[in-house]
Amino acid sequence: MSAALTSEVTADLQAIVGEQWVITDPVRLLAYESDGLTAYRRPPGAVVLPADTDDVSQVMACLAHAEVPVVPRGAGTGLSGGALAGPDAVIVATPRMNRIVHVDPENRLALLQPGVINADLTEAARPHGLYYAPDPSSQSACTIGGNVAENAGGPHCLKYGVTSRYVTGLTVVLYDGEVLRLGGLGRDSAGYDLTGVFIGSEGCFGIATEIEVRLLPIPQATRTLLVMFDQLEDAGEAVSAIVARGLLPAALEIIDRETIQAVEASIFAAGYPVDVEAALVIEFDGIEAGLDFEAEEAERCCWEKGAREVRRARSEEERLALWQGRKKAFGAFGRVAPDLLVQDATVPRTRLPEVLRAITEIGHRYGLRLANVFHAGDGNLHPNILFDRSDADELARVEQASREIMAVCVEAGGTITGEHGVGLDKRGYMRMVHSRDVLEVMRATKKAFDPWGGMNPGKVLP
Amino acid sequence: MNALAAVLSRRLPEGQVVEGFRAEQWAVCDRVPQAVVFPESESEVAEVMRLATQEGWTVVPAGKGTWLHGGQPPGAVDVVLSTMRMDRITLYEPGDLTVTAEGGIGLDLLARRCGEHGQWLPLDPPGPRKGTLAATVSTASSGPLAYHHGSPKDHVLGVTLVTGDGRVLELGGRVVKNVAGFDVLKLTIGSWGTLGVLTSITTRLHPQPPADRTVLFRGEAAELVALARAIATAPAPLAALEMLLPGERERSGGPVSLLAVRILEAPEATDEICRIVTDTAGASAFRQMDGRASADLFRNVEALESGAELVVRLSLLPSQLETLRQYACTLRDLADPDEGWGTRVAAHVQNGILRVIMSRMARGEGWIDRAAEVIERVRSGLEAEGGSLTLSRGPCELVSAVGAWGDVGPAAPLMKTLKRELDPAGVLSPGRLGFL
Repeated sequence: MSAALTSEVTADLQAIVGEQWVITDPVRLLAYESDGLTAYRRPPGAVVLPADTDDVSQVMACLAHAEVPVVPRGAGTGLSGGALAGPDAVIVATPRMNRIVHVDPENRLALLQPGVINADLTEAARPHGLYYAPDPSSQSACTIGGNVAENAGGPHCLKYGVTSRYVTGLTVVLYDGEVLRLGGLGRDSAGYDLTGVFIGSEGCFGIATEIEVRLLPIPQATRTLLVMFDQLEDAGEAVSAIVARGLLPAALEIIDRETIQAVEASIFAAGYPVDVEAALVIEFDGIEAGLDFEAEEAERCCWEKGAREVRRARSEEERLALWQGRKKAFGAFGRVAPDLLVQDATVPRTRLPEVLRAITEIGHRYGLRLANVFHAGDGNLHPNILFDRSDADELARVEQASREIMAVCVEAGGTITGEHGVGLDKRGYMRMVHSRDVLEVMRATKKAFDPWGGMNPGKVLP
Repeated sequence: MNALAAVLSRRLPEGQVVEGFRAEQWAVCDRVPQAVVFPESESEVAEVMRLATQEGWTVVPAGKGTWLHGGQPPGAVDVVLSTMRMDRITLYEPGDLTVTAEGGIGLDLLARRCGEHGQWLPLDPPGPRKGTLAATVSTASSGPLAYHHGSPKDHVLGVTLVTGDGRVLELGGRVVKNVAGFDVLKLTIGSWGTLGVLTSITTRLHPQPPADRTVLFRGEAAELVALARAIATAPAPLAALEMLLPGERERSGGPVSLLAVRILEAPEATDEICRIVTDTAGASAFRQMDGRASADLFRNVEALESGAELVVRLSLLPSQLETLRQYACTLRDLADPDEGWGTRVAAHVQNGILRVIMSRMARGEGWIDRAAEVIERVRSGLEAEGGSLTLSRGPCELVSAVGAWGDVGPAAPLMKTLKRELDPAGVLSPGRLGFL
């Protein structure tokens, strides 16, 4: 694609959305030079901020006509470099499309624009006794449009499932400006599940401009436990024991020693003991009756696996305090090391103890600081490597160790990314999990939506 | 032996190819295949598909044959490929709450094996339990449990798909969270055998619920609609909420419509949810069924379509249940009043799906045209309100005339492109999804 972001194109864009909604000032463009994965930085040629589906359609048609690539962007909290555009591409960002069209309590649905922030949707649903289940850690900043693009997860998807479970319909705009309405509750759609394949397409197929989602009734009650372990593997074993007992907690999250120490040394200090090897957050939710029994059963599993201490939240404040160490982990890493590499591999749950052992060993071998904070119930690991990019030798060791960690996870029957997406960052790992034929079919699937190759080029596929 | 069957017999091990009168029971709608093949491995499936693409034979994938009369009649059927002999569990680690099985495994066998470890796959599609996992996934079939527990797209983590030209694709994986690349897997779910043959499937499992209870209300249909809506919006996790109207000829005196509220939670929570439900219902009388009785009632719901000549699936927003019920009344006129049970109606209240299940349609001069006219009128009424009508099962001429599904709209060319990619020669179930 021969890009030509000329001043005529910019003028056309201004004519569509209004002058103030097209950013070309190089200083202001710096705000869009990276997403949550700051290792990659590249300012875009321009940023366009449309207001609705019609705007997006016209903007895309204009850019397609000029053969300028488009990179969709929500809040830019992604962790795979997926929302990066080069100087010859235009970012179409959704902050102005932040309207909740309606919340429909009768049908437990909401219709919204993609720029609505995840937590705001739950806030809007709350008066009706409803909420939106997927809760990525960035939920106070990330948008539902971004969640759709990444098929986002979160701590509570162990019980409730990921974004694709909750999106019932989409309006999408393709690169040439064509508007397609896909799915929708109350309708058996004919043909293939295009809604399903669009979710998680990382902005490579088109832009979702309206999203219909299912809401759930707010659980009557919750029980939250924080359990300390002297061995990381014991925490992993406790997770398996809880699952084996037939319990289905809403969340099962592990935070390791390195992470606890980072949190406790930061402004987010949550009062976790700094000498334990792992802390396990266990949460049950649902109908009040019987929750105590489930929590006690889980607690028993932990004692059997060598827990040192169990803390129980007795109030909402205490619950938030127990969660603090988990939720603020990423913020806390910032003061420990200048750079952070977040991985996101998923392994079958029963393989967790051995995979954790292998990851620790790899960290030692390369002399790196590793911090683990992860969705243990889902087997979704987040080994974080803390390092300094300006140290070339360390950077090389980080890259080598990353690859080895991925290989261990794939070898254990897992995959390279559970919820962060491939983006720019993990393209190099795609061949570890997909055959050439499968990659070809993925390429063809993108081509079916985007035969022009204008949507978020250079992402996802190796 | 016909020429096609002879070619296949030379390529496949003995006993895997059937033709002639033994192929008749594998007719797809009214199309009798020239041969039925029963491959026992993925590589044999791939061999058949390569051959079919090379020779231009049309192939309809099947399992045990329980869905052969569903969907739209394909344009042609040279070969039916049944995966029923591929029924092994290949990887089951209960601690992972996932299982990988060959596509031809029956839902009954899978349930038995997982049940030994206190686990289950919460899918209750219409039809006999012997029906295969691959057929369930391929038709995206689900039942009353779907609203709370999810449909095949929410359970399936990975598949092995043998494409129209014999490529073997591993799509998805076996972990519960996976966003490594585009989710092509989703295309195969509900693709009705038009994109490939599902030879292996990995699905999520859940712990078996410790208790099973159904609260059953009985009353006039219109009253029950209001009650159903009130219960659907009550703040309680319900496993299923099904409204049932038995056929005219299987009713015994008194009000006959039923509302079945199923609760699958721990015993203490079950009591509490039951209390919320009955409080919501106010003075309405109810009956409580526990354990086996509750499970059996929903077993019967699975079997409602058995032996039916016509099954029409109507869909609108859940709040429009009463509108759906009225459309159902319109369709009742198509039934033969003197044969079989009459017309059953079953609604998934929380999903806004209502099925009209007819024992036998009224015959007579021009009956197909008349039925087509009524169905098209109901379909356009529903579509105008944002809903849909699917003809899940019916006489072949009728389904061909009105189409099993409604118009797909502007996404059709995109879907055709996807179909061409996975089935370049167009040999897989042509026309089974209407335009695909």
